[in-house]
Amino acid sequence: MKVDGGDTDTPRMSPPSIPSTPAPSAVPVRPGLRQRLAAWDVRFSPYLYISPFFVLFAVVGLFPLAYTAYVSVHDWSLLGGQGEFVGLENYREVVDNPYFVKQLVNTVSIFLLSSVPQVVIAVTLAALLDNQLRGRTWWRMSILLPFVVSPVAVAIIFGNLFGDRYGLFNEMLGVIGIDAIPWHTDRLASHVAIATMVNWRWTGYNALIFLAAMQAVPRDLYESAELDGAGRVRQFLSVTLPMIRPTMVFVIITSTIGGLQIFAEPRLFDETTARNGGSDRQFGTITMLVYDFGWQLRDLGRASATAWMLFVLICLFAALNYVAIRRLGRLGGVDR
Amino acid sequence: MSRRPGFLVYGLLLAFVLGSAAPLYWSFLLGSHTAQVAAQGVPPLLPGGHFLDNAQRVLDTVPFWKALGNSILVSSVTAASVVFFCTLAGYAFAKLRFRGSVPLMVFVIATMAVPTQLGVVPLFILMSEFGWTGSIWAVVIPWLVTAFGVFFMRQYLVDAVPDELLEAARMDGCSQIRVFWHVAAPAARPAAAILWLFTFMQVWTDFFWPLIALPHENPTIQVALNQLQSGFFKDYSLVLAGTTLATIPLLVLFIVAGRQLVSGIMQGAVKG
Amino acid sequence: MHNLVRSTQRGRLALGVLTALLLAVLTACGGDDGGSGDADGTTTVTVATFNEFGYEELISEWNAEHDDIKIEQVKVGTWDDAKANLYTKLAAGSGLSDIEAIEGDAMPAILAEADAFVDLTDAELDGRWLDWVAEKATNSEGQMIGYATDIGPEGICYRADLFKKAGLPTDRAEVAGLMGTWDEYFALGEDFVKKVPDTAWYDSSVGLSQAMLNQVENPFETDDNTVAVDNPELKAVFDTVTGNIAKGLSTRLPQWSDDWTSSFQNDGFATMACPGWMLGVVEGNADGVKGWDFADVFPGGGGNWGGSFLTVPAQGDNIEEAKQVAAWLTAPEQQAKAFAAKGTFPSQVEALDSPEITGASNAFFNDAPIGEILANRAEAVTVQPYKGPKYSDILQAFQASILRVDDGSQEPEESWNQFLADVEALG
Repeated sequence: MKVDGGDTDTPRMSPPSIPSTPAPSAVPVRPGLRQRLAAWDVRFSPYLYISPFFVLFAVVGLFPLAYTAYVSVHDWSLLGGQGEFVGLENYREVVDNPYFVKQLVNTVSIFLLSSVPQVVIAVTLAALLDNQLRGRTWWRMSILLPFVVSPVAVAIIFGNLFGDRYGLFNEMLGVIGIDAIPWHTDRLASHVAIATMVNWRWTGYNALIFLAAMQAVPRDLYESAELDGAGRVRQFLSVTLPMIRPTMVFVIITSTIGGLQIFAEPRLFDETTARNGGSDRQFGTITMLVYDFGWQLRDLGRASATAWMLFVLICLFAALNYVAIRRLGRLGGVDR
Repeated sequence: MSRRPGFLVYGLLLAFVLGSAAPLYWSFLLGSHTAQVAAQGVPPLLPGGHFLDNAQRVLDTVPFWKALGNSILVSSVTAASVVFFCTLAGYAFAKLRFRGSVPLMVFVIATMAVPTQLGVVPLFILMSEFGWTGSIWAVVIPWLVTAFGVFFMRQYLVDAVPDELLEAARMDGCSQIRVFWHVAAPAARPAAAILWLFTFMQVWTDFFWPLIALPHENPTIQVALNQLQSGFFKDYSLVLAGTTLATIPLLVLFIVAGRQLVSGIMQGAVKG
Repeated sequence: MHNLVRSTQRGRLALGVLTALLLAVLTACGGDDGGSGDADGTTTVTVATFNEFGYEELISEWNAEHDDIKIEQVKVGTWDDAKANLYTKLAAGSGLSDIEAIEGDAMPAILAEADAFVDLTDAELDGRWLDWVAEKATNSEGQMIGYATDIGPEGICYRADLFKKAGLPTDRAEVAGLMGTWDEYFALGEDFVKKVPDTAWYDSSVGLSQAMLNQVENPFETDDNTVAVDNPELKAVFDTVTGNIAKGLSTRLPQWSDDWTSSFQNDGFATMACPGWMLGVVEGNADGVKGWDFADVFPGGGGNWGGSFLTVPAQGDNIEEAKQVAAWLTAPEQQAKAFAAKGTFPSQVEALDSPEITGASNAFFNDAPIGEILANRAEAVTVQPYKGPKYSDILQAFQASILRVDDGSQEPEESWNQFLADVEALG
């Protein structure tokens, strides 16, 4: 489940609680045939219901990941197919490739630039929405508008706005006397441009999540704060923010998983014919490197090794995610 | 904080909404002018009269209708599949007692974070093996179920279906499947609709795997847009007309079901 | 929950709308499912091209005359995109068009995968193409894998109006006399940018480097396909092109980028290396701009840039029909028409003498006799660079190295070393 940019976007949920034991079901006392059938029904139906999911998930989700590991320890060319077992050779080649570290740094940098401002703006926005607004639903829908624009479309539109020489943003900077910014060639500038796309698409979405968390804050907390003489800003800082912090942590961690896989935005932002993320991979990401190795350099072995390393990286974050959830679960309250 | 907001609040919100809408307007704006006008840095701020011409050129350049049909088909089929299989499993996890349910659910939650799209290499090898690359089924298959779907349905069904009701149905001699079908499934509908909507959007906007799996003549909307953008003449009136066209279907969906999308996101955030 | 339930009704409405839309689209598209035989016995042959092949009218012409075989064109942007798609679908064993256009530089790599393509050898077509072109498409076993479409003899496109502004001659014969060598061409450029500082001399360093590469005998690989990129000729091209950047000769834009395209409309540059097929590109990008002309000259002698081939992948369902269509499209008469449409200069011997070519002029380029000029340019080509199977991949890395200096992200030496490392990593 990913949240920031990239190609998959599932809605973000706040901390899941770990399943509680379901209600006990009736257990038959006398084992007649009918009762036995009913008992089997009760006993095996659950497995019947969950098995289609697990079977399909194993085939389309887990098997490919495991098989990626298998491919990654072989010579495996796109056209020639499986070659010899080479151990960790592919991994070594990937890590030795200077682009790997560079694109890893890019990926993290774009992620940071897209998540930090995003959370700040989204929280502010949520605070604004957490008022008795006229046309409440209309406002909520309006801020969600960018969410329906696909990352590919977002990248095309912003790619145009961020044109180095004749783009609108640089023209506007020119009007106020600032030199044109080389959005496509300067490393940091390109990260900002791509992060802007991600932020544009996701800030409203996150604001709604924070809004939901804010609305779950017990109103009497505000009342007592008010009795203590706290102003609105003070209330926001000392009541709202602490209360939605778990949601915030969750939002950040889960958005990492999405952010680390970002692909569509930087790829379509790139205008060099090779489309590897700029002439010097200024904004190439790890997923783009997977594509480059696998389908441009036609080496599925190195592509798999790269994918697997990214996978491990994401798993680390996922583990962090899980720990955070457990912790939040114990904190309880706020999001339930 | 329930207070009557002042001008400032409305002003800030309005600014944000305008910022949200502006890029879309920009897309339409350049898409409605000729190529020469679009190539200037700052075009007129009012739409020109060439949108339909440009749209026609989009249709001539990429198989737009086919891409649209593919996207709708792929997104609908996967959304239906996810809703069906995940409701079934989610119900079992929410309401049925069975050995291993807790570890399996923990497993589902853990895999929610697993980036399945990183399995592209084996998916590609598999699809090639079966000769499915190039057909849109290659894009449908990886999405048939999602761990998120199971989690989402479980979370909803835990509260939505009273245990007493299930119990009563069973006492009446209903088999498990009948209980599911007549009690749980109807109760699951609101969440199923949201899951359907989310999955639909998720698949609709997916790009990485379709880019690899689909040929130029049988693309999804996203792949077709990519094709349009990588054009030999970077004609922005054409490309942005295409982008606008490609965004319209989801805009329609948004206008019809946006309210639900909003409540879905917020429900998802509060429940849990 | 109340909210949710209410919104479900909207959801159902949405579902209904979408289902209706889905049905509408599916029924609308039911007919053009592509691929093999439709119910009425028509076969649709798909032709995947990149850039501009000038085939639009030819295809309409064919489709009007034929009921049994219909042609459908699939257009992609650049060759790089087409190449990635080609290899992906070759590996997948399905998903390619019935006919795939291949950029000439990639033919050696394609010949290495000859098994995946249909042997198009046809005795009747012997002698249709210039020998050196036919050779490019023929493997060591004598099988012809591709039918050549065009070649890319290069002349110089220039903006006469900007030349005038700089006080340079504008007449195409005079202009031709000023740029016989690269040194002259660059010196003229330095003169130009002094007088018209806002306009660069040529369109892109990458484009220029490719024009220069086309005069190098062994740019990347030796005749036995050993990669040898650290050679003085290649380094000389690299040094010259990167050295020009500081002099303001280059737009410093990536070729084919948005800004590059926009620069045609914004007086971004005054000249560019123009193979025949580029004329269509200039005309398209500079639509509405007056002052373009085409000079019968190329610095440093002649040069051939590009030229493509039509291949029939063996995985297709309509091999026989595809073969027939490919042969038709690459026949002299058709290529002469494609030339008229987009300036793709024919590689067919017979077409070169046809009045449609020799007498052709182009109004956009100030009525320049483009047929005659390109024929002269083709004759001036003396060097056919050796291109091995890795040429296309190395070229991509080389262009990136030029671009890194061009856009200011690296110093020349650093970029050159990175290029060497990139080539190493190609494996």
